[in-house]
Amino acid sequence: MTTTHDPIPAASRPGLSGEPDGNPAVRRSRLRLPAGESAAMLLVLPVLVVLLFLGFVWWRQTADLDSIEQSALAWPALRAQFVEHIKLTVVASLIVVAIAVPLGVLLTRGRARVVAPIVVGIANAGQAAPAIGLIVLLAIWLGFTFWTAILGLVVYGLLPVLRNTITGLQGVDPTLVEAGRGIGMSAGSVLLRIELPLALPVIMAGVRTALVLVVGTAALVSFIGAGGLGDTLVSGINLFRFSVMVAASLLIAMLALLVEWAGRVLELALRPKGI
Amino acid sequence: MWDFIKERHQQILYDAFQHAYLVVLAVAVATVIAVLLAALVTKLRLTGLANTLSAIGLTIPGFALVGLLMPATGIGATTAFICVCFYAVLPILRNAVVGLQGVDATLLESARGMGMSELSVLVRVRLPLAWPVILAGIRTSTQMSMGIAAIAAYVIGPGLGSYIFTGLSQIGGKNALNYALVGTLGVVILALILDLALLLVGRVTTSKGIRV
Repeated sequence: MTTTHDPIPAASRPGLSGEPDGNPAVRRSRLRLPAGESAAMLLVLPVLVVLLFLGFVWWRQTADLDSIEQSALAWPALRAQFVEHIKLTVVASLIVVAIAVPLGVLLTRGRARVVAPIVVGIANAGQAAPAIGLIVLLAIWLGFTFWTAILGLVVYGLLPVLRNTITGLQGVDPTLVEAGRGIGMSAGSVLLRIELPLALPVIMAGVRTALVLVVGTAALVSFIGAGGLGDTLVSGINLFRFSVMVAASLLIAMLALLVEWAGRVLELALRPKGI
Repeated sequence: MWDFIKERHQQILYDAFQHAYLVVLAVAVATVIAVLLAALVTKLRLTGLANTLSAIGLTIPGFALVGLLMPATGIGATTAFICVCFYAVLPILRNAVVGLQGVDATLLESARGMGMSELSVLVRVRLPLAWPVILAGIRTSTQMSMGIAAIAAYVIGPGLGSYIFTGLSQIGGKNALNYALVGTLGVVILALILDLALLLVGRVTTSKGIRV
C-alpha cells in the first residue's frame, strides 16, 4: 500500500494537458479509458457491496459459531468499529484536503513554482515508507491516541491530493487565466472562478485516491489502539479463528469499496458543468 | 541506534535481503502474469472488464487480503508472497493494457504485411513498444509491494516488517524505537534502491528505436 493507487497519471484526464508525454498514441488511448471504466465502477461497486453484505448477514445469522467467535463478531461491537473506522477516514481526509489543496495552490503561485517539484519529490520518497512503520513510529513518539492515528493517516493521504492539485492547476490553459485577468478579474477571483473549477476534476481524482489509501490504512491503526474494523481482524488473527479473520477482512474490503464508490459519486457531483 | 545496528547488522542485512527477495520475486512473477493477461485481454477486447477488476482489486486494503488468505495459505511466507503478488499484478496489468493498445495500428499492419505471425507481432513489435509503459507499472508495483510485504510480516512473512511489529510489541522498552526505525527506514532505503535498479533496467532494456 505504499505509493499511489492510481498508476495512470491524473494529468491525462480529459480536458487538461498535464505532463508532456512522448507517444501521442498512448496518450489518446489513456484519455478514453476512464469514461467507460468509471461508469462500470459506479454501477458495479454498490451492487457488489450490497451482495457481499447480504451474504455476510446471512452467514452471521445462520453459521454455527462458538462463544469466542460470537463475541468477536457481535453486532454492536462491529457497528461501533464501523463508526470508528468511518470517523477516522472522514476526519483524516478532511484534514488532508484542508492542507493539501491550499499548499498545492501556494506551490503554483509566483516564485514558489520552482519549489513545487522538490516538494513533490520529497513527498514521493516519503510515500515509500510503509504505512505500518509510520504509524508505529508516531505511536512511540506521541502515544496511543486517536489523534496519533489521524496524523499518520493524514501524512499518508497527503501526497495524492497535493500532487493532483499541482498537476491540475498547471494544466489549466494559461490563455484562460490571461483572459480572466483581461476582463478585470483579480488574481484571487481568477483562482477561485477559473483555475480551481477547471482543475477540480483532477483534484477530485486525487481526493478519491487519498480516500481509498486512508480507509485501507485505517485498518492498521488498531495496532495502536485507535479502533476501527482492524480490531476484529487483529483479534481474529491472534485467536487464529478463520471465521473471524475472513469476516473482518470482508467487512474492511466492503467498506473500502464503499468509500471508493462514494469518492466516485463525489467526483461526479462536484464536476463543474462546463467540462 | 548505532550500537543497535552494529550488534545486529548481520541479522538486519539478512532480513533486508529477504524483504527485497520477496518483493523482487513477487513482482517478477506478477510481471509475467500481467503481461500474459494483458495480451489476452487486448486480444479478446475485454479491457474494460480488466480495468474495472484491477480498480476493484486495488481498493481492497492489503491487511484485509492478508486476513482473507490466511485460512487458505496459513501463517508464513506463502501468504506474504501471494498477497504481494496479487497487488503487484494490478498496476502492471493496467499499464500493459494501455501500452499494448497504444501501439500505432499502422505499425501492426506493416508488421503483418511483412509476413509476421500474430505471436511474433506481439513479441517483436507490440511488447518492445509497450515496454516503457509496462516498466512504469512495474515501478509502481515494486513501491507498493514494499509496504505490503511489511504488513504481511504480521503473519510471520519474511523481511523487515517484523522489526516494526517487534518495535510495536516492545513499546516502552529501550529498543522499541530502534526496531521500528530500522524496519521503516530499511524499507524506504530498499524501495529507493530497487527503484534506481529498475530505472537502470529500463535504460538497458528499452529498444533503441524509442529510447529518449
